[in-house]
Amino acid sequence: MARLRAIPSWQITLGVALLALGFLIAAQLASEGPRVRYTTQERTPLVETANELQSQQDELKNTILQLRAQIQAVEGQGPGSADLVRQLNAELQDARIAAGLIALTGPGIVLQLEDSKAPVPPDGNQSDYLVGSRDIRTVVEQLWGAGAEAIAVNGERITPTSAIIDVGSSLLVNSAYLTPPYQVTALGPPALYDELGASPGFVDFVRARSEGYGIRVSLAEPDSVDMPAFVGTVTLRYSRPLASPSAGPSTAPSGTPGG
Amino acid sequence: MHRRSSQLTIAAVAAILGVLVVIQLRSQAGPTGLAQLSSQDLTVLVANLNARNDQLRRETSLLQAELTTLQTNRSRGDASVDEITADLHRVRAYAGLDPVGGPGVAISIRGAIDGAGVEVLINELRNAGAEAISVGGVRVVTGVVITGAPGTSKVDGVALGVAFDLDAIGAPDKLTGSLTRSGGVIAQLAATQPDVEVTVTPMDRLELPATTRSLVPAHGRPRL
Repeated sequence: MARLRAIPSWQITLGVALLALGFLIAAQLASEGPRVRYTTQERTPLVETANELQSQQDELKNTILQLRAQIQAVEGQGPGSADLVRQLNAELQDARIAAGLIALTGPGIVLQLEDSKAPVPPDGNQSDYLVGSRDIRTVVEQLWGAGAEAIAVNGERITPTSAIIDVGSSLLVNSAYLTPPYQVTALGPPALYDELGASPGFVDFVRARSEGYGIRVSLAEPDSVDMPAFVGTVTLRYSRPLASPSAGPSTAPSGTPGG
Repeated sequence: MHRRSSQLTIAAVAAILGVLVVIQLRSQAGPTGLAQLSSQDLTVLVANLNARNDQLRRETSLLQAELTTLQTNRSRGDASVDEITADLHRVRAYAGLDPVGGPGVAISIRGAIDGAGVEVLINELRNAGAEAISVGGVRVVTGVVITGAPGTSKVDGVALGVAFDLDAIGAPDKLTGSLTRSGGVIAQLAATQPDVEVTVTPMDRLELPATTRSLVPAHGRPRL
């Protein structure tokens, strides 16, 4: 009793606090470890440039969405709203939906893919334990095959010109930088979930990646999914439309349209 | 006196402790962001972001001009039929609803390739800026996938056989370079499917058919 009283309580408090401090400093240093590896002189400006470009991209996307909304509004309010204009506008709306330029809502499923938490064996390849572009492409292909009508990955709508490629352990989709976890949202018929689950290709994929490497794949079927619009250019620089009977209204006013 | 200095010590330690706890939590909760990319990856990322931003800027000025014309027409009482028609053709060509023509590459594929191999070629073509693609005469639009084991690959359910062409419109030199670079997709394909022969020919002019699909989702409706 007498001995205990000899140690003032503030010393105990201080002792405990210093112990915690030591742990935290050690943890902090340890967590800095892997990052120090890439620290080179040319890196910092690159990170700054990438961040700046990313925020520019966000601004540009907002501008485009606003302009599209304004254009749609003006086109829809043509004076007199003649039959021809009405028909053209209806076709334009369908074409925009087909091109992925209109945000949609409807039945669908969401697949989430996350990097493995399993330890990489000494003779293993670390990239096998991370979700890569090949995984996302397989999932997207399987979803199309199962009847999906629209797909987006982390908010980037898949369009006819979308490439999905690796950059480090992250992805570029439509040249936008995406990081895990990856959510692949698909809109489609109510049978989509069952069709996907019944696809041998999808079953093989899950078996190989999830059971083989611990890639975490989860599937959700919410009441409805929100499909974002593609925000990017639809202007083709090398392709020119060819005359087609299906293009434009049969009552086109004069000459050959487009060009 | 002694008591006061001990209180100050505890206060100082507690303050440092607080700061460290916050730093530690932040660094662990932080997104897997740019910090984990190598300089080489960052260079690829910056190039991609630049390319996309340039595209977005072009699209912005195009839409701005379009909006101005539409507003001018409206104030004059014109119906903007020409502008709406031009817009329609632009969007339909992009989606694959209209046939298109232009320069690009014709890729001849001979041998028993599997569907995934064709998809890898298509992804690389898109990455190199291909604007329109067809496989065995079928326009590859959203929803069209090439599936099947070697020799039995199919596009949209139609068998491709062991000799077919993949056509892509875009900058011929860029598409060719991207496919045929050392360690590129064709080199990888040669390693995994050695019986398949892939030949890339730059073309001044190609014509690609329109898709036969409607592409308007039957199960979604525009979100307002």
